[in-house]
Amino acid sequence: MDLVLFYLFAAIAVGASIGVIGQRYPMYSVLLLIGSFIGLSGLYVLLDSPFTAVTQIIVYAGAIMVLFLFVVMLLNAPREEGPVIDPRRPAVFSTGPRRAGGLLGLAFLAEMIWALWRVQSSPIDADAEVAAHVSSVREIGIQLFTQHAFAFEVTSVLILVAMVGAVVLAKRNL
Amino acid sequence: MDITQLVAHLVVILFAFTMLITSAAVLVLAERKVAAFVQQRLGPNRVGPWGVLQPFADVLKLLFKEELRPRAADSFLFWLAPVLSATAAFAAFAVVPFGAETTFFGLLDEPVRLQAGDVNVAMLVIFAITSMGIYGIVLAGWSSNSKYSLLGGLRSSAQMISYELSYGLSLAAVIMLGNSLSLTDIVNQQAGAWWGVVPKWFLFLQPLGFLVYMIAGIAETNRAPFDFPEAEQELVAGYHTEYSSFSFAMFFLAEYINMVTVSAVAVNLFLGGWHLPGVPLWLGWAVWLAKVAALLFFYIWMRWTLPRYRYDQLMHFGWKYLLPAAVVNLLATAAFVLYVG
Amino acid sequence: MMPTLNHFLILSAILFSIGTAGVFLRRNLITILLSIEIMLNAVNLTFVAVGRSIGSVDGQIIVFFVMCVAAAEAAVGLAIVIALFRHRESLSPDAFTSLKW
Repeated sequence: MDLVLFYLFAAIAVGASIGVIGQRYPMYSVLLLIGSFIGLSGLYVLLDSPFTAVTQIIVYAGAIMVLFLFVVMLLNAPREEGPVIDPRRPAVFSTGPRRAGGLLGLAFLAEMIWALWRVQSSPIDADAEVAAHVSSVREIGIQLFTQHAFAFEVTSVLILVAMVGAVVLAKRNL
Repeated sequence: MDITQLVAHLVVILFAFTMLITSAAVLVLAERKVAAFVQQRLGPNRVGPWGVLQPFADVLKLLFKEELRPRAADSFLFWLAPVLSATAAFAAFAVVPFGAETTFFGLLDEPVRLQAGDVNVAMLVIFAITSMGIYGIVLAGWSSNSKYSLLGGLRSSAQMISYELSYGLSLAAVIMLGNSLSLTDIVNQQAGAWWGVVPKWFLFLQPLGFLVYMIAGIAETNRAPFDFPEAEQELVAGYHTEYSSFSFAMFFLAEYINMVTVSAVAVNLFLGGWHLPGVPLWLGWAVWLAKVAALLFFYIWMRWTLPRYRYDQLMHFGWKYLLPAAVVNLLATAAFVLYVG
Repeated sequence: MMPTLNHFLILSAILFSIGTAGVFLRRNLITILLSIEIMLNAVNLTFVAVGRSIGSVDGQIIVFFVMCVAAAEAAVGLAIVIALFRHRESLSPDAFTSLKW
């Protein structure tokens, strides 16, 4: 049962991600990425992490992607343009690096899968006590505000800096 | 889980679903009747006694209308937008409990919860699904390929992001007070009364939180005085300018169901859910319904009393008054829980 | 039957490669930012899966931080995209080849 669900959510995530980079309309890319996030959120539920699953939807799908959607709508982002052909240089220079990059991505994938194939696969601990510990929001809260308190505070500074930076960059004249 | 339990659960789910659809019909009528009352008119009174069959006539009319689609519209997204809106509206109600555990007067061996789905992070699930509902509106605005729709969609996305913060912070204060993310737990902590008179509702511990929640909730459901995505005087009908027939009806349905959900959550969080001192628990669902109906009336009342804000005033209010108020409320609650509770 | 840790790790590797390929292949600044989000999410999946398998919540906490950083990155990245679009009326990275204007 769990394995079937895993393959279902994995298929959603991978299929939607391929859709994101596989077509030229930014609007559809944003929407497909939301689909991919929903698939990932299902996987988090399978991993006994309901908090992370819900945060994924709230923060990623509900806030960050709305920001993307807002910008796509604001710029009325058109269909992606074709490659810029510079007549002074051979065409290989405008499209070549991209193809090479795509191939590098594939090579990277092959390498990772090869490496993972060689290690012993450890089954996920199905012990109910461990699952309860991992899925407890209370536990996450305690850890976050004691052991990781400094990182938490630094993150808030980071977000403040990003906010000011975004305003400065996007505003026409301050 | 044995078979009777399963059947009981299915019955509860179907009941919740039917109730939501019916509530939308009732609300359409209530909205028009209250509007008529406010404006000293009679309101619908031709279809059935006192016009009670008016919503059905409306639905039939919408069903038989022609489905129009602008030629320049993005056909897939144009179709998807109302579906997303309605789905999100229904899904959010799934984790809202609407009554105490019941055995249906001894019919069942084990009590069943009056709730479609019991999740231990229910509060966050509601928040997550509400934040997905915005996509319906934004996509409708974009895919129609009309400037009014686009403006409506843009306004809606900016408004939702701004008010979601205050909404979330007011929920966080209640989570702190209730020390739980489950709505059922939070409702059950509000049973009983202080000194035998004042009900132990979180409203009395969280007056500012309740105010922030209700204001942000109105903004989240795009109701007047914050109905900028529609704003018929400036934007024709905003995001659903180009919609007709049943796709329009789905937006309509989504708006009313969102109202019900926001009110239901407010009742569960701040007004004691199905608890009322002196009323037995098996009558809890009636208490719950009465409270939700009161809040819904408040919504309609607001709509027909207050004029719409200007857009910059809305943003100004959201960021400079509502959000600081929510933060102060959160800090005060944290201090209270730490030193007193 | 439960999926093993390797199932999740291989899925994560696939998603990460898709993200990498997207950054190289696409000619649209917004889609490139989206590809970066795919990569971040692939890493998140690894963190949660490994955290679950060693029975610790640390993985989820790191994911929480990654989300904050992703939000900051998206805000600044999109602000830059808007600023660039104002200058060139284009979202193609090929349009921004001059070092100064």
